[in-house]
Amino acid sequence: MTAPVIQVQAPLLQLNGITKVLKGQEEPRTILSGVDLTVHPGQSVAILGRSGSGKSTLLSLIGLFDRADEGQYLLHGNDITKLPERKAAALRSAEFGFVFQRFFLLKHLTAAQNVAMALVNGQGWSSRRKRKQQVMEALDQVGIAHLAKSKPARLSGGEQQRVAIARALVRQPRVILADEPTGALDTETGNLVVEVLLGTTRQGCGLVLVTHDHDHARKMGRVLELRDGRFN
Amino acid sequence: MFSGKLRSALVIGGQGIRARKLRTFLSMVSLFLGVLAVVTVQAGAEIAERAMLTDVELQAGKDGTMMGYIPGEKGAPGIVEATLKGRTDAVAMISSKAIIGEPGVRPINEGGMPFEYANRGGDYSGPSVYCDAAGVCQEQKPQEKKPDGQAIEVSMVALTGDIRPFKPFRPVSGTWLDFATAPSLAPRIVLNEEAAKGLRQYRIPGEMMIDGATHHVTPQIVGVVEDGNVQPRVYLRLDELRTWMPAAAATSELDRFRGGGTGLEVYMQPGSHDLQQLLKAKLVGAGVDQNQVQFRVVNSKERMESELKIMRLIFLGMAFLVLLIGVAGILNVGLATVGERVEEFALRRAVGMSRMLLAGIVLAETLLTGLLTAALAIGAGAAGLQIALMMFGSRFPSLQGTTFPWEAGVAGVIAGLVAGVLGGLIPAIRAARIPIATVMRA
Ligand SMILES: Nc1ncnc2c1ncn2[C@@H]1O[C@H](COP(=O)(O)OP(=O)(O)OP(=O)(O)O)[C@@H](O)[C@H]1O
Ligand SMILES: [Mg+2]
Repeated sequence: MTAPVIQVQAPLLQLNGITKVLKGQEEPRTILSGVDLTVHPGQSVAILGRSGSGKSTLLSLIGLFDRADEGQYLLHGNDITKLPERKAAALRSAEFGFVFQRFFLLKHLTAAQNVAMALVNGQGWSSRRKRKQQVMEALDQVGIAHLAKSKPARLSGGEQQRVAIARALVRQPRVILADEPTGALDTETGNLVVEVLLGTTRQGCGLVLVTHDHDHARKMGRVLELRDGRFN
Repeated sequence: MFSGKLRSALVIGGQGIRARKLRTFLSMVSLFLGVLAVVTVQAGAEIAERAMLTDVELQAGKDGTMMGYIPGEKGAPGIVEATLKGRTDAVAMISSKAIIGEPGVRPINEGGMPFEYANRGGDYSGPSVYCDAAGVCQEQKPQEKKPDGQAIEVSMVALTGDIRPFKPFRPVSGTWLDFATAPSLAPRIVLNEEAAKGLRQYRIPGEMMIDGATHHVTPQIVGVVEDGNVQPRVYLRLDELRTWMPAAAATSELDRFRGGGTGLEVYMQPGSHDLQQLLKAKLVGAGVDQNQVQFRVVNSKERMESELKIMRLIFLGMAFLVLLIGVAGILNVGLATVGERVEEFALRRAVGMSRMLLAGIVLAETLLTGLLTAALAIGAGAAGLQIALMMFGSRFPSLQGTTFPWEAGVAGVIAGLVAGVLGGLIPAIRAARIPIATVMRA
């Protein structure tokens, strides 16, 4: 199925004046106050900022883990600011791929089963054969098809993160959201992971990368810094 | 769409149980005992109820039957017989004693006792006192001692018609009395199981001496029934009984039918008030004290049922306590598991699983465990019952042929389901509440 021309030209995602207040132990704190962000297909964006500046919070709003208190969120031009949870789950499955600082692989499952987890989530169903094919393609894309049958305990950090990236890619998402994916890796392995992520943008994926590493940030199409709850 | 959810749930649930085999097993153990308790109580109560209630029907008559005790004096048996002649909605039973076997000897079970208690040890030769139904007592001369011999004493029940609509005797072998034919000169009798046992066990000659009759007859045994009585009994047609008796003596001799047996009992279908009035009028007319002619509606089964119900509730209450402990066990394990799987659950939601499906999977895992446990407990209960019957069945004849009651199976499944829901719901709700952003902050 080819996307209509109009949708290709519309921004992948567009945030206007996003505000988020989190209720801590004491009084509520405004973490984000008026964030604007637009990402087009094939674009990559790096988000820098001090620890606690709200980078992860922003990513969790983009990825529909949570909802904004104020502002507007458009995905492919559709307003999804106040989407009910059931539909949000379907969008998380179809539109987004997530990579985190910690790899979050289930230790009782093999690499292939961990990747397949994104296919076995109640959003549609494909045959075992189809699933296996999709999983192997994703593992191949990150260069570790030969490790499909290994359990996480036998994989290096870089390999584990690549399994996690394969899990994010297996449903061929439109946007990759990565929260410090290289934080737990050495420089060389980190570079490799960033290259893998950048590779997805060449196929039209949008990429939002939260990082503390300026070298990695410079490889992105755009670099934004989050400070006092907004981009300057 | 639905099948995608269901299949995903099956795959994930299967992975979850396989990854935590020991834990699943342990929560099953705690639940197993609870479900087994429920199944046992249900099965026990059901079997006890069946055994007791069927016997109570055999002994006291079906609920709703109108039943009357009539003193066997002043020609009452003759009046009753004449009144009930040709009717199928009412039957009279006249009890008396008879001795089957060698003539002129002391029977093995003197007094018509069950053979289990028949030992000819106790020689009581002091004065004996006989009291009639009205409470008037008189001393009787000690009986002359007779030599021991091959004879048994039975209570002999003469019937004016088929009693089975009122007391559903179960056939054991042979046939039941046929009331449609002309009375036979060779009298036909049906034994209860205890009488049959006595005849078989002591190899008694088939001669029968009826209390009050002057000569022996050779009865023709046509069948054996289960009548719920532990004493040996024989049943026969009243009109056939009369053909053995000297014609002149018949009425007066039947008048003597009282004392040892139940005397004269009349069973009528529900609502036969007219017949009851007629009978009473005739008896009172003949000089029977009207206070001694009493009719009542049989409700033994109902009464017993309500008593059994209370017992069952008490035991069920205890069983549910045990089940509750099992539920607490499952809940404990379930909560610990959710605590351990926080990240997995957050991750599953992050990759697109809906809150409902996640809660459903957590609930289904416990529910499946509960049902599987219930199945095992029901199987164990049924197997236990078979073993118990094999070991003790011969001691309780009324339990023979008992099968595992389906009610106990249903109770077990319900207990498993309830335990699964109770033990799985809270973990499911907890799982659904885990914020997805957990995956970013861990
Ligand atoms: N559930 C929550 N309730 C209240 N406050 C929260 C919650 N989660 C995070 N915060 C606060 O929100 C602020 C932003 O957190 P966030 O995780 O977005 O920061 P970050 O920029 O990702 O930091 P880091 O670079 O260390 O990952 C922090 O001060 C944190 O204490
Ligand atoms: Mg963060």
